[in-house]
Amino acid sequence: MAVRLGLAVVFLFAFDAAAFRTGWYASILEPNSTAGSLQTTIWVERHRAAAGLNQVLAVGDSRIPLRPRAANALTAETGYTFATIAVWGTTPRCWYYMLREVDPGRNRYAAIIVPFDTYNDRISELISNRDLDIRYLTPLLRLSDLADFSRSFPSWTNRLWAVQSILLKGLSYQRDFQDFLVRHKWRLRAAKITHDHAGEWMDNAEWDTQSLAGMSVDWGTRTLRLPDSLPADKRGFTRDLLLNDPPPREAWFTAYRRLWFGRIVKRYRGTRTRLIFIRLPRGPVVRPGWPEDKESAIREFGARGDAVLTDENYFNELERPELFGDALHMNGPGGDRFSRMLQRLVRQTLGPPEGPRR
Amino acid sequence: MLFHTTHFFLFMAAVLGLFYASPRSWRRVILLAASYYFYMCWNAKLVSLIVALTAIDYAAARWLWEAEGTRRKALLAVSLASNLGFLGFFKYYNFLAGNAALFLGMPAGAFALNIILPMGISFHTFQSMSYVIDVYRRQQAPIVNPVDYALYIAFFPQMVAGPIVRAHDFFRDLYNWKPPAAEEQLRGVLLVVFGLLKKLAIADQFAKIADAYFRNPAASPGWLAAWSGVTAFSIQIYFDFSGYTDMAIGLAQLLGFHFPENFRRPYLSRSITEFWRRWHISLSSWLRDYLYIPLGGNRGGGLRTYRNLMLTMLLGGLWHGASWNFVIWGGLHGGLLAAERAAGVGRERARLSFGPLRVALTFALVTISWVFFRAATLAESTQILGRMFSGPPGKLLWARWHIWFAVLIVILAVAEERWDWTTRLVRAPAWAYAAAIGAFLFCLELIGFTDQPVPFVYFQF
Repeated sequence: MAVRLGLAVVFLFAFDAAAFRTGWYASILEPNSTAGSLQTTIWVERHRAAAGLNQVLAVGDSRIPLRPRAANALTAETGYTFATIAVWGTTPRCWYYMLREVDPGRNRYAAIIVPFDTYNDRISELISNRDLDIRYLTPLLRLSDLADFSRSFPSWTNRLWAVQSILLKGLSYQRDFQDFLVRHKWRLRAAKITHDHAGEWMDNAEWDTQSLAGMSVDWGTRTLRLPDSLPADKRGFTRDLLLNDPPPREAWFTAYRRLWFGRIVKRYRGTRTRLIFIRLPRGPVVRPGWPEDKESAIREFGARGDAVLTDENYFNELERPELFGDALHMNGPGGDRFSRMLQRLVRQTLGPPEGPRR
Repeated sequence: MLFHTTHFFLFMAAVLGLFYASPRSWRRVILLAASYYFYMCWNAKLVSLIVALTAIDYAAARWLWEAEGTRRKALLAVSLASNLGFLGFFKYYNFLAGNAALFLGMPAGAFALNIILPMGISFHTFQSMSYVIDVYRRQQAPIVNPVDYALYIAFFPQMVAGPIVRAHDFFRDLYNWKPPAAEEQLRGVLLVVFGLLKKLAIADQFAKIADAYFRNPAASPGWLAAWSGVTAFSIQIYFDFSGYTDMAIGLAQLLGFHFPENFRRPYLSRSITEFWRRWHISLSSWLRDYLYIPLGGNRGGGLRTYRNLMLTMLLGGLWHGASWNFVIWGGLHGGLLAAERAAGVGRERARLSFGPLRVALTFALVTISWVFFRAATLAESTQILGRMFSGPPGKLLWARWHIWFAVLIVILAVAEERWDWTTRLVRAPAWAYAAAIGAFLFCLELIGFTDQPVPFVYFQF
């Protein structure tokens, strides 16, 4: 009995591995799903015919306004070529695994840009327990990640789910698989088209042209006047974000940043790849008296020389309403200006690229 | 604590561990404690109800075994009145009160009470009643040890939704308990996995279609939409209920108890008569032994037989729930059984002919009757029936994979009917058994509906 049950478990893992660990299923994930969008981004970067000492890669979420095409317009001048694997909704935990996937040999990039909202350890969202990370990362997680990855969630529910998703990937793909059963033809076609064209779609993506130009704020009375052209669904969100009190300092966030940026730092320690930490433009307007904490996890990395901590005020000139589409995201013109400034910042930080350009 | 939740599997693992690690004399107490814990996970206060009924029937059975004449009848009446009284109050009070209020021209909720239907009350009261009646008929000796009797009533694998186990079967296993043989263990595990698969991968998938249709039939006009929505419910209710039963039988088998078969591929029946020999067998045989035969069965000629059939099926319908829809559902089946009896259908020996057309016709009739079972009101039932037989076709509510899935299910069912492949699988080499269990678990992993646990349909009865 025990032998048969043990064998049954072995068969279950074998079936799961045959279906989901060969990489084929990950390549046909619903492209608009969380895991699918991340997988497409990884696929594009892995298949981008570029590697070498002039390549600069940015990680991040939807907040990083990098437009590689705008940055690369300056490549002739600076010598660096930019690419991004930023995916909306991802977190530093995701970035570590994404970097591991696109740069397995740790030798593909001259620099990796890591963006921050703030160098302070202040946050209002409990991202350490974010279950969405499991959905995003299922295709990238390996059996060897079992202990590390699952332990990084504070709640036992998410730890258990993380263990399940690593051991039996089918559990995480369940909804996607059921969708595949319903729309298999469409999905196979979509996967092929996505692989053929996702790179050019990303390059030519249209950015938001919405602008907050005309907005005004009275910090004394906490009143905000937004332009009439701002859609209703963005108004409340913009108002809340701009007028809210600063989030508190969180010890867990310090630990979280030490853990995940520490892993990224460790991964590139002793390689030729430099880690460049940047602070993004904070918003269309910045509340006066926003706290600046002298000590934080990010500043520790900078002080130890694990990463280049760039001047946190470098992008302050972009903190203008006309360059933002809402409270968090820069619009197209803002993205263009940010990308050009970032290109120059990288050149200024690294100097000219080493060796022959490839 | 639903059977298909992690909580239940942890509970079951603990019970199995404790049961087999303890001395034999403790095992009944462990099972009883586990059963009461299982009940209390649902509602701790209402466990007093099941304890009270157990005490009444335990005492009544012991006294009436010794008593003679009218005293015996009085004791039987007290026991039956207690069971039917509890059942009637908790399950039918609001139904009767609502109808009385309407009859008196008052608002339907005028006499309504906020009553919680105790878990499994329809099942354990039927078990209690059959035990007391068997003792009254002197077909069963009264149980001396109250723990044994309490365990019979509350035994957790079948307390919630059956199968309804007869006292002589249960106590035969309890008093001659032997550890399950290797083949029984393998069958037990297979039944548990198979039950989970039926519930999570089949019933809950088709439930999505059925629930969407019955929630708002007007949103899916056309006869094709109506038939696909109602057929989805046919599939849901069978796989939901038989999945639960398979798990109950399998779990009991792992503890060394043998529950009766409750479903034998009922949708392969070639008549309604045969359907009732294959569907919820423990209930239909209970109704036969404790209602149909005492009413006279088929001993009083044609008309009396039809009357007895109709009465049995009407009460069987009402047993399922307190609503006129269930009465009509029972009446419809009673009418069909009577019509088949009049036409001589269902008397030929099984397996003489496969008769796919008759199977299809029987399935269609059963599916039509499920409309009353599932629809919220009588008006909604008639509306849906109207849609099934008129108007434009509308849209099929099933995706293509549901169709392939249904075809696969039919193939497996026919194969089981003809070749008994589950028994062959239990006796197959270790690797084949393990591969099959692995494949079933893999299917569960992929298509088991896990967004949120969907309760078993029969839990509400």
